[in-house]
This record gives sequence, structure tokens and C-alpha cells, in this order.
Amino acid sequence: MAMIRTSPRSIVLGALAALIGSAAVAGTSEAPVTGGTLIYLEAEAHTNLYPPAGGFYPNGGILNQLTDRLTYQNPKTLKIEPWVAESWQVNAAKTEYTFKIRQGITFSDGTPLDAAAVAKNYDTYGFGNPGLRQPPSEVINNYLRSEIVDPHTIKFVFSKPSPGFLQGTSVIGSGLVSPGTLARNFDDLGKATAIVGSGPFIATHEVLGKEIILTARKDYSWGPPGFAHHGRAYLDQIKLIVAPEDSVRIGALLAEQADVMRQVQAYDEKQVLDQGYLVYAPPTRGVNNSVVFRPDNPLVADIRVRQALLHATDTQEIVQTLYSPNYPRATSILASTAAGYVNLSAKLTFDLNRAKALLDAAGWKIGADGLRQKDGQELILSVYPSLPQPQNRAMMQLIAQQWARVGVRLNVLAGDAGSHMVDDLDPLKTPVAPAMVGRADPDVLKSEYYPLNRDSLRQKGGGSTQIHRFVDDKLNALLVDIASEGDESKRLALVGQAQNYVIDQAYAIPTFEEPQAFAAAPYVKQLEFEAVGRPSFYNTWIAKH
Amino acid sequence: MKLFRYIASRIAQSVLVLWAAFTITFILLQALPGDALLIKFQNPDLGLSRQQIADIRSAYGADQPRVIQYAHALERALTGNFGYSIMSGVPVSEEISANLTPTLYLTGFGFLAAVCVAIAVTFASILTPLAGLRSVIRGLPSLFISIPTFWLGIELIQVFSFHLRWVPVIGADGWRALILPVLAVAIPISAPLSQVLVRSIDDVQTQPFVAVARAKGASRRWVLSRHVLRNAFPPTLTIAGVLFGELLGGAVVTETVFGLNGIGRLIHEAVDNQDAAILQASVMISAAGFVIVNLGVDLLYPLLDPRLRNTAGGS
Repeated sequence: MAMIRTSPRSIVLGALAALIGSAAVAGTSEAPVTGGTLIYLEAEAHTNLYPPAGGFYPNGGILNQLTDRLTYQNPKTLKIEPWVAESWQVNAAKTEYTFKIRQGITFSDGTPLDAAAVAKNYDTYGFGNPGLRQPPSEVINNYLRSEIVDPHTIKFVFSKPSPGFLQGTSVIGSGLVSPGTLARNFDDLGKATAIVGSGPFIATHEVLGKEIILTARKDYSWGPPGFAHHGRAYLDQIKLIVAPEDSVRIGALLAEQADVMRQVQAYDEKQVLDQGYLVYAPPTRGVNNSVVFRPDNPLVADIRVRQALLHATDTQEIVQTLYSPNYPRATSILASTAAGYVNLSAKLTFDLNRAKALLDAAGWKIGADGLRQKDGQELILSVYPSLPQPQNRAMMQLIAQQWARVGVRLNVLAGDAGSHMVDDLDPLKTPVAPAMVGRADPDVLKSEYYPLNRDSLRQKGGGSTQIHRFVDDKLNALLVDIASEGDESKRLALVGQAQNYVIDQAYAIPTFEEPQAFAAAPYVKQLEFEAVGRPSFYNTWIAKH
Repeated sequence: MKLFRYIASRIAQSVLVLWAAFTITFILLQALPGDALLIKFQNPDLGLSRQQIADIRSAYGADQPRVIQYAHALERALTGNFGYSIMSGVPVSEEISANLTPTLYLTGFGFLAAVCVAIAVTFASILTPLAGLRSVIRGLPSLFISIPTFWLGIELIQVFSFHLRWVPVIGADGWRALILPVLAVAIPISAPLSQVLVRSIDDVQTQPFVAVARAKGASRRWVLSRHVLRNAFPPTLTIAGVLFGELLGGAVVTETVFGLNGIGRLIHEAVDNQDAAILQASVMISAAGFVIVNLGVDLLYPLLDPRLRNTAGGS
């Protein structure tokens, strides 16, 4: 498994693959035990649990146990397999998807999960429901309508080809909930007990901000057919407890007060492994942890400046200093475990001389104080670190040290969330920003860079009204093509082009492939993770210990 | 009639104070950059476009002029409805009621424990026979006051829960869950209490009547308990009142370190996310607490003291 002390990358990847496949291996040696309560330590309290908000790690960890999805993305193969939908058909243009719904599934409030319920879910996620303040889902684009063909057949129609939709039906954000849940105001979906799904667990008790009890649903019998295990979950209960302090989570785990914990910092991994406990680091398979530029800011509008900073960034040093072998160095903007990944390490070299030459050529000369200057202006940039990304502040500070070697200053800002969000819309204040998205589909590139999605480069017409010039039509056309190319091999070729283009333009400096790091006691068996690293406790069981 | 007017004016003043607290909180929250909606929905985890965010803002009425937003907020507050926490998606009343009791327990027991620790340290520092040991004990409050609460909390957990395994931190119930957090809150608070107590005992002991009592043949302990303490306590009570307010600060840190739910942590998270509804409600609850206590005291004075009744009545 992923308990790695030596560091060759192939071993790490092999270990990760073995980890994901561990279900089958563990199953052969010991028969699973039904029963018991698993104590799971979460680092942060969840926020609103409206399913499209499942991207936030604490939310995803809860919703994944409470809801089922139309399809199941096999984390090993990334192929889409049946789940609530037993089969589906897609037209050649990828504008119409028809799903056959498995019969006999009910939500935990007794409502049947039929075509009408699925239509209600997807209409809400596709359009949003402003009357109830429910926002639309990031993964469902170009949604036109749903059609109930018969009580167990549903058809979705799109205004444009939408090849990413099938994978979109498998993500936590597309979790199916009872129509009764969707009839509640968005502001009323903040309690786990308010989320009524058809999943293997039900939230039976919650102390806000402190703990949630998830109880196995005894009549559950509709897990993904590809699983070896059918029927109810092995565990009777999961007790999810919020413990924000890192040392308390690790100490409690090792003192046998808990069984599994989320968010092990890289520097704590050794302590866990030394006691015979396990570290799990499932990959998030999307856009890597990166530093992106906002070229609307004149300081980084010149491609040579961006390229210089790319070559001044020593990602090897970042990974070695701050992280562990579970955090592989990035070799593209996409993770090496993502569909359509191409290895661009030849373009991502650390080369101080080249960086200096590029800055010289761009007219930025070293001034008296060691900082580069041009027309009386100094090359001073600033960035707000991202709180959810592991040790992002430390990473930005290390990058600031690296850039200082070529005469560029990076100020790592601290500020309240409000100032952060306001400044983040203004490239003059935040010419540099952290970025990362986890989703195992090429659409993830569009999610990250397209102006009408996350718009991480801040383009004119995108998420901010404060952009004066910067638009990259070529990049945007590529992203739209990726999201609408029906032919899979052509689509993956476009994904390769987009990765090359973003690096050639030096819009982003990918740093490392972000895992979700968990630690667990050795007696916790078949702890599994969905395609982007959220825990799945359906197959998990506790061995005698 | 005059008395009635006095009471009416005191109540009117109280209402005015509450309104001012509400309005100032509203203005301050509006003056901050960004707001809860921006923090919640601009968050990349949701991946919403500008238009989608604008739709949500208008659904919340956040695109209306601030005066109208203020009027709506005031109207809701008057009916006791503080709305929903935008960050967590739970009614504010539920958040408050789920978190108020644990904090009252933590701070209440924390304060009691602080008083016990302070008295124990004080007595030990006076009654311990060896002079060297006495001065060590006298140094304890200075040590206690310099310990950061979060460090103390983590150390208590590491030693008593993880190494000695006497009390669990995770999944503990009832009093067992309170032992370590109460100590973490109590120890830093006990320090100023015992410092003041030791100091006033020293002062009182130099007074002539103590010498007289000793000269009459009273034992040291008898003098201490019958004469000195009675006179040394009032300054300590004053400082105790002031310290009670500081408990909440300790609770914020302690609740986070121990993973407890409580008002401290709730307010801390609400400040982080500019969750105006929670903050507005928290300010109103504390303002109402102060106002009610003060009003009660003011209204009681005339009953207790006839002279005040006359003044209040305005002869």
C-alpha cells in the first residue's frame, strides 16, 4: 500500500494502484466482518450539503456515504460502470443521453428512486432553482431538459454535444436525493440529517460542528453491480467527529481513540507509519496543484516574464522540502493519473540562467536593491494562499524564495476571507493565484480555465468585471472543443493540445499532484476511495483486534 | 407615577442600546470587504459563473440598496428571526441553541475550577512551611499566566489522553469530556485570581489589627481564616468579575483544540466567513444579556434603598 519510505516515482504509482485494488486482495485472505462502529476524524466541519457542493472535501466525505449516483466511475480504470442506471444510450452527437433506472431502489424516506425523481434532481442541478436559492452544478453544462420516457427510463437533452456528461453523472456532486430534500430551501440543507439519499448510510444524528452518526441502511441492496459485495454496508455505524487540530487527530488515532482520519500532513506521515498504521494517499486526478498567472496584470502580461518564473520554480525542491513521496512532482497541468495526460517535463525545467535571460530580454533589469526594475517599476507580485490545499502557504513562501533568486519578489498575503475573495477578482491585486480541481474527466480543464467556469486566469467576460484586456480565444476554443468533441480519441488529442498550450504560454506552473491523505488503523479493511479521493465506507469493515 | 416614569425611561434606554448594538453591528459588517455570499459562492469549490453568482445574490436580496437590506434585517430581528447561516445552511437559532449550552458548561466549570486552583495555590503559598518551596509556589501564577491556552490544551491532551490514556478526547461523554478542556480554560484564568489574592493577603497581614489578634494569642491559621481572608476577598471578587468576560476568549481556543462545539468556535468560524446572520445574533444575545442584567440592577436599587427611591421618584 502507499506507505512509502523510498522514493522512486514508479513505486509510488504502483503502490497507489495497489491501494485502490486492495479490496480484492484483502477479501481473499479474510472474510469481512459485519458490524461495529468506525470512528472517522474529519479535519473540518462540513458546510452546506446540497450535493453540487460536494467538491469541498468534508462535504464529499459525507455525501459519498449518503447518496448513490446514476453511474459509477471505477477508480482503477476510470471507466463508467452501471449503478442506479443499469444501462444507457447516447446518440452520436452526444446531445441525448437515455438511462434505464434500476427498479426497486428507494430513498431512505421511502420515496421510490424512479425516473421522475431523477428528473427532479437533474433539472435542479442543470438549471439551479433560484426560487429556493439552489445553484446549478458545475459538471452539468448545456442542459436543455429531461424527458420521462417511462417510469424507469429518463432522457436528458443538451443544447450542444456534451461528452463529459456521462462522467458527470458519476461524481459526488450528482448524488441523487429525495425530491423532498430538493423541495427545501438551499439554506435548509446544511444538516447531514436533512439530506435524504438512497445510499448505504443514513445520517441519523448530528451535533452541529461536532459529530455525525451515519447508520447503515439494512435494506440497501443496490451498490454498483461491479462490486464483489452486495447488500448492506459491513459497518453498523460511522461516527464522524470533527477535530480541527492536526496533532489531536493523529494522537487520537495512534492512541486508539479513532480508526480513520482525514488530512495527514506530509511531515506527520512517518510518525503514523512507524507505529504500523497505514497512510492512504488516493490521487485527485484533475488539474494539479499549480500557480496560475492573471495576464491582465501588466506585470505578467509578457509571456517572457511568465516563462522566466516557470523556469525559476524548482518543483523538485518544493516536493522534497514540504511534501512526501505521496505528492508526486507535477509533469503537466493534469495529473499523470488523469485521462488524456501528456508528460511535459521537458518543458517544465528548472533553469535559473534561462529565467534570468528571459527577464533581461523582457527589459527587466536588476536594480540597486536586487529587484528587477523596468520604467521605474519593480517586479513585485502577490498571492493569497489557498486554505484547503495542503501547506499552500509554505509552498508559496518557498516559491517566493526561489523567485527572489532571479530578482522577483512574491508577497504571500494574509487576509480575511472577504478581502481574499474581493482581491481575487482583481488581477492588479492578485497577479498570481493558487489553483487545483479534482475531477476524473477531461472537462476538468474547462472547469479550471474557461471564463464562464472557474476562470482561474481571469479573462475578460469571465468571473470578474475588473478585466480590461486579457482574453485568449485560442485557449477558450480548445476548452469548448474538449467539452463538446464526441469522438473520444479526438477529444484526448485536444486535451494534449490544451496542456501544451497552457504550458507554452506559461499561464500556469504545475507543482505537484495533490493526493487526499488519510491515515487508518491496520485493522480497518477495504477502506476505499472514489475516483477523486473521497472515502467510500460501503465496503469497509473492522477486523478483530 | 414618577416611579413608573423612571421605569419606563430605563426600559426605553435599554431598547435604544439594543437598537444601537444591532445597527452598529450591521454597519461594521457592511463595511468589511466582501460578504458571506461572496465567500460562499465565489469559492472555486462550487465553480459558479458570474451570472450564476449574480442570480444567487439577487435571490438573497443582496443586490438591493443597503438601507432596504437594513430595514429587512431589522424587521426580521424584531420578530426574533435571525435567518440562516449562509455558510452552514442551518437556521441561526439552531446554531446558537446547539452551541450555547456546551459553552456555558465549559466556561462555568472553567471558572469554578479557576477559583479552586487560585485558592489552593494561595493557601499553599502561605501555609507551606519551607520558605524555598513557598517561593516556588508563589511563582506558579506567573507561570500559569504565561502559558498559551492552545499549547496547554495540546499538552494536556498529549499527556493525559494519549500517553497516560486516563480520559479520551474523542468520543468522550459527559463529565469525562469536560475534564481536560475545563483545566485548559481554568489554569490561565486562575493566575490573576491567585496573584490578587496573595497580594491582598499580604497587605491585610501588615495591618495593625492582625498584630493585635496575634498578640492576644490567636493562632496563625485562626487569624488567617477569621480576619485576613474576610478582608482580602473583596478585591479578588472584583477581578473575578472582570475575568469572567475573558473566559470566552479562552473558550474559542479550547473548543477548537478539543474539537468541542460551542459559541466560541461558532463565532470564530462566523468571523472567518463573515457569516453576518450568526454574528448579528451573537452580538444581540450578549447585548441583551448586559442590558437585562443592568436593567434588573437599576430596577432593584430603588426597592433596596429608599433614598434611591426618592431620587428616582424626583421629590
